[in-house]
Amino acid sequence: MAREPFYTGLVVDKSLTQKYDFNPYYAHIESSLGDPIIIDGTAFINLAANNYLGLAADPRVARAIALAAGRYGASMCGTPIATGSMAILTRLEQRLATFAGVEAGIIFPSAYQANGAIFLSLAGPEDLIIIDHYAHASLIQGVRLAGCKIRPFLHNNMDHLRKVLSKTEMYRRVFVVTESVFSTEGSLAPCDEIIRLCTQFNAVPVIDDSHGIGVLGRSGRGVLEEKNVVNFEGIYTASLGKALANAGGFVGGRKAFIEYLKYSCPAFIYSTALPPPVLAGVEAVLDIIDAEFPALSEKMWRYKRMISQGLVASGFNVTDGSAPITSIMVRDLDDCARLAKMIHEANILVTPFVPPSVPVHENKIRLIAGANLSEGTVGRVLDVFQSIGRRMTAV
Amino acid sequence: MSLQDRVIRTIEKNLEGKERTTITPATDLRHDLGVDSFAMLIIINALEDEFSITIAEKDFIGIAHVADIVARLQQHYPDLKEP
Ligand SMILES: Cc1ncc(COP(=O)(O)O)c(C=O)c1O
Repeated sequence: MAREPFYTGLVVDKSLTQKYDFNPYYAHIESSLGDPIIIDGTAFINLAANNYLGLAADPRVARAIALAAGRYGASMCGTPIATGSMAILTRLEQRLATFAGVEAGIIFPSAYQANGAIFLSLAGPEDLIIIDHYAHASLIQGVRLAGCKIRPFLHNNMDHLRKVLSKTEMYRRVFVVTESVFSTEGSLAPCDEIIRLCTQFNAVPVIDDSHGIGVLGRSGRGVLEEKNVVNFEGIYTASLGKALANAGGFVGGRKAFIEYLKYSCPAFIYSTALPPPVLAGVEAVLDIIDAEFPALSEKMWRYKRMISQGLVASGFNVTDGSAPITSIMVRDLDDCARLAKMIHEANILVTPFVPPSVPVHENKIRLIAGANLSEGTVGRVLDVFQSIGRRMTAV
Repeated sequence: MSLQDRVIRTIEKNLEGKERTTITPATDLRHDLGVDSFAMLIIINALEDEFSITIAEKDFIGIAHVADIVARLQQHYPDLKEP
């Protein structure tokens, strides 16, 4: 086989970035997630990270991580089933389970890995997975890997979900997969209703709370607290790399399910456990949430309101999400690229979403203001968008 | 109702609730309606319900326009009668 045709066949479509001489992806950040952040030597306001509570660069978290590195070193150099299952890991797994409102849990190296792997251990050709049309790539990949029947349902559409659920007698197991918060637009899934429908039709709900943990609920414990769910009979997953400001993928549920995964899920068994300093970082963040959530959450929501209202006042079309996420909706791809470039030139880092991350004609530019920003910074953001809004209407 | 009309009506009822364009046989599923792979699956599942058939996904690979769906249905399910 000639290898050259293989490599020349690997093509990335860069026409849009070339046309505007601007690529918003893979920015070279040289600082911590402070206010500001430094990109290629220039100060930027960070509205891109999922650092909802602003704890990623908190000195208390950094200290806990440094202490753990001093005590345990860099890594346990083993998978959980071997040397990776250290006391700090099992302690954090139980703490996260209690925090999120499930019986037990385990921590994967990432939520992508967890979502991508658990279905393979749970479902096969006799089973059905029903999944929200707009579910995260990791869930879609995991569900596809299981090799079972897949029926997507229209996004957050409970009539459609009920209709799909009403035709499931022929399957052995039925799962309903969704996210608590859909992160490109900030919409919330009606998880209470989904759980009720699952109970009615004997299906197992699977909820990815990656953007809900540390954000939703009276004390930041996520979707199950937000929806007052007790004795959750489903499967819970969440990234520890967003509001919890570290890294890792938590999977929670009934004890029997977790015990089963520990001996049946290759992506858990055969992948090096997270390093102890990361686990200590999550513990430090949980301590801060326990003590300070009301104040942090008040800031996070105040900034979200300021940004949403400011953008609307400046003439932008935004999603009316109920999460601390504001997305500007731009129908035309070229308009989206132009707007993204203008925002970047004003030294604000945001996240543009274009297909295939979002449907065609539903391009979005997402803004997330972490609770570590100052009110002055958010004010500067609004000034910038007012001026961009004027320039856009002038064209 | 003709097979084509039933297909169009089924697609209309199974799209995300966004702005609507009139669907014709020439409508491009991806470019005009934003149909991605999961949206295609939703449509296929709805057609299964509408016509009480089981569709093998491989029979629906490479669909671009609404007319292609009608043609594939006629090809693989010749017994579908127009009521
Ligand atoms: C909804 C959702 N699930 C899972 C993930 C993956 O999480 P992780 O970064 O921990 O792999 C993400 C994004 O990173 C996400 O947005």
